[in-house]
Amino acid sequence: MPEEVQTNDQPENREAKEPQIGVYICHCGGNISDVVDVQTVAEEVKKIPAVKVARTNMFMCSDPGQEMILEDLEKESLDGVVVASCSPKLHELTFRNALKRGNHNPYLYEHANIREQVSWAHHGDPAGATNKAIRLIAAAVAKAVRLEPLKPIRVEAFPHAVVIGGGVSGLTAARKLSKQGLGVTLIEKSPYLGGQTAQLNQVYPTEEKAEDLLRMLVEEVVDDSNIKIYTGAEVVAATGTIGDFVVRVRNVPGDTSAKGIGLIEKKVVFRPFQGCTVRSDRPCSPGDELEVRCGVVIIATGFKHYEPRSGEYSYGESPRVITLPDLIKLLSPDGPTGGRLEIQGHPVRDVALIHCVGSRQVDGIHEPQPDGRVNSYCSRVCCTATLQAANEIKDRFPHVNVYEFYRDIRAYGRGHEDYYEKASGKGVLFFRYTPDSPPLVEKTGPNASRPLKVRVRDTLTFGEDLEAPVDLVVLSVGMMPNDISDLVDVFKLPVGTDRFLQEVHPKLRPVEMAVNGLLLAGTSQGPRDITESCASAAAAASKAAIALGKGYVELEPFVAQVDPARCDGCGLCLNECSYEGALRLTDIEIEGKVERKALVNAPLCMGCGSCAAVCPHRAINVSGWTLDQFDSMVDAIAAQ
Amino acid sequence: MTTAAEPANAKIVILATVACAYPGADTVGQAHLSYPANTYVLRIPAPVMLPESFYFRTLEKGIGGIIVMSCGEECPYEGAYHRFAARLDRVAVRMKKEGYDRRRIKLSAICTVCTKAFLKEVNEMNDLLKEIGPPRKGEVAN
Repeated sequence: MPEEVQTNDQPENREAKEPQIGVYICHCGGNISDVVDVQTVAEEVKKIPAVKVARTNMFMCSDPGQEMILEDLEKESLDGVVVASCSPKLHELTFRNALKRGNHNPYLYEHANIREQVSWAHHGDPAGATNKAIRLIAAAVAKAVRLEPLKPIRVEAFPHAVVIGGGVSGLTAARKLSKQGLGVTLIEKSPYLGGQTAQLNQVYPTEEKAEDLLRMLVEEVVDDSNIKIYTGAEVVAATGTIGDFVVRVRNVPGDTSAKGIGLIEKKVVFRPFQGCTVRSDRPCSPGDELEVRCGVVIIATGFKHYEPRSGEYSYGESPRVITLPDLIKLLSPDGPTGGRLEIQGHPVRDVALIHCVGSRQVDGIHEPQPDGRVNSYCSRVCCTATLQAANEIKDRFPHVNVYEFYRDIRAYGRGHEDYYEKASGKGVLFFRYTPDSPPLVEKTGPNASRPLKVRVRDTLTFGEDLEAPVDLVVLSVGMMPNDISDLVDVFKLPVGTDRFLQEVHPKLRPVEMAVNGLLLAGTSQGPRDITESCASAAAAASKAAIALGKGYVELEPFVAQVDPARCDGCGLCLNECSYEGALRLTDIEIEGKVERKALVNAPLCMGCGSCAAVCPHRAINVSGWTLDQFDSMVDAIAAQ
Repeated sequence: MTTAAEPANAKIVILATVACAYPGADTVGQAHLSYPANTYVLRIPAPVMLPESFYFRTLEKGIGGIIVMSCGEECPYEGAYHRFAARLDRVAVRMKKEGYDRRRIKLSAICTVCTKAFLKEVNEMNDLLKEIGPPRKGEVAN
């Protein structure tokens, strides 16, 4: 990378003539304008001398909204743009890209957040919210006046991807990445490939065997010379940024079944309820580590089933209370009974299926997880999976009575509703309960016809108290993310309130995370079925190919920059810098005189600004976050 | 939905880190949780970039309280958090010398989903400002 001394000759020019800023205030279809009086905001903002135009729009992020900005940039000769709308997390990039499209520097842009941090937070105080919006926009304008055009930092992109997790999503992502021409390293913690899909017998809505699906995927992945697979391996560290990560992988300690880090044998063996085994072609001792260089990382770490608490619906107290994954095993020809529906050695005659166990929990009713939060989300797949199991029981054991206890049936996907229709047609009986009065599972007396009974207040019969004698209770347990706190630490992954990983935006950037170059696939992001998991894995693979396809990636230019005119070479900044090689002193020739100045090596600078705070002359600043900009924002907020 | 406390007359500037606290403030809004509107969140990559003088300049401009919402030990920049914590200690010493009420500057760690902690910090500062009003050099004798 050639050294570049970036001189700041623009500020003088920009300050000589007061820069002209365009301000655009979004209604967000009412999300903002129902609380904030956007018209008043526009009128007040227009009074700021630097503001050339101030306009409002129903949706600034829409094409017409963006067009409006581009037209003004030309017609009004704007020097900078401020959009006041939702959080910058959602649309800062959208508007920067709009500027770029119009051949304007995308960094002459500042964002004011008047939705998440104004209208949604001050709905009870419209006057206060309107006033706050005005001040925040004034602060954004003050910063915009002091912005300088910046150039992104270019980094060579290494055309290789690391996929973490060897379930159906990770396998799909690996296969698609390879087809896009990228090299892939697939890292799986367990000794098996296949993840939770291997726990299934047949998968809805196609009813194909899970084993066949996995075999096909695993064989393709194993046969692919572009894909390296490491099982019994885990990621312990990572450095770098998009385009150039180095991921450190090691053997899972203590896992004696793991064959270690190494290339696998091509013969695929499927073990029911475990997955596909793969064998290492080189022996590997515990603690062995290797480094993988890659341009992107796809996180496909999957889910685990909710484990009912002891005593929840008598779980753990009666062996006749099992979970849906247990039932699936019981019904499988490879299961403990060879597929016979038996419990405790006797055929099952009456079975109760209870929905929403560990999902859609309510604060104050359900016991929270150790982090103090209940699982308030819907796990999406359990309704259809439970209906699928009910249908299978009725098809194979027509004399068994099946009772389903549900809160709502959410058979939302294509073909899912058919399972509900069919189950009803086959005589499955449905009872509907409310969250505050869930069904009660109780043991019966010695003379009872069945060892358990399920009591429920059924809203379908307008609140009648009903009782079903059963010999098996199945709990449809929801999904929880696997414990990946180690990866969260290594990659600084964003986690949502539901503990699943969080995308940047569910619609606009559904498989990207806030950390550039990290992508999401499958249930690491939230409950979803195999169809949806494969779709998100394919999306992540496409995103990876787009990111790395050009051969380089562009990084945000928000790194330290020295103004040589102000720098006296005192070197105070160097003492503060944590990044080897990011900052050094060098002699440069200015108008025939050799002077000592600080110099930044942009790709190594992380942009923390430790240096900026100690410079006595404000000669070093993080581009886009200068101290003058902060001061001016405070001034604008303090005004009035 | 919650009802916000009446805002104090003095304003509060919140320095919120890009990686943790700023998304945390967004999460509060997404949940439609309310807090007083005299609060102004400034996004910042790392508060370590601000010199000591920034805090005094801000108080001199009449801002009644500054809450630094950092990533705490989760700070994505090497060594930055400890360097910053040491700076705030120096700020506190100078505040004492200049006779500012030291409670006007508060450091807290706010994660991306720390809604309760965010509200607690904001409400406490707002209550404090209702009690002690706008800042003034020499407001407390030492």
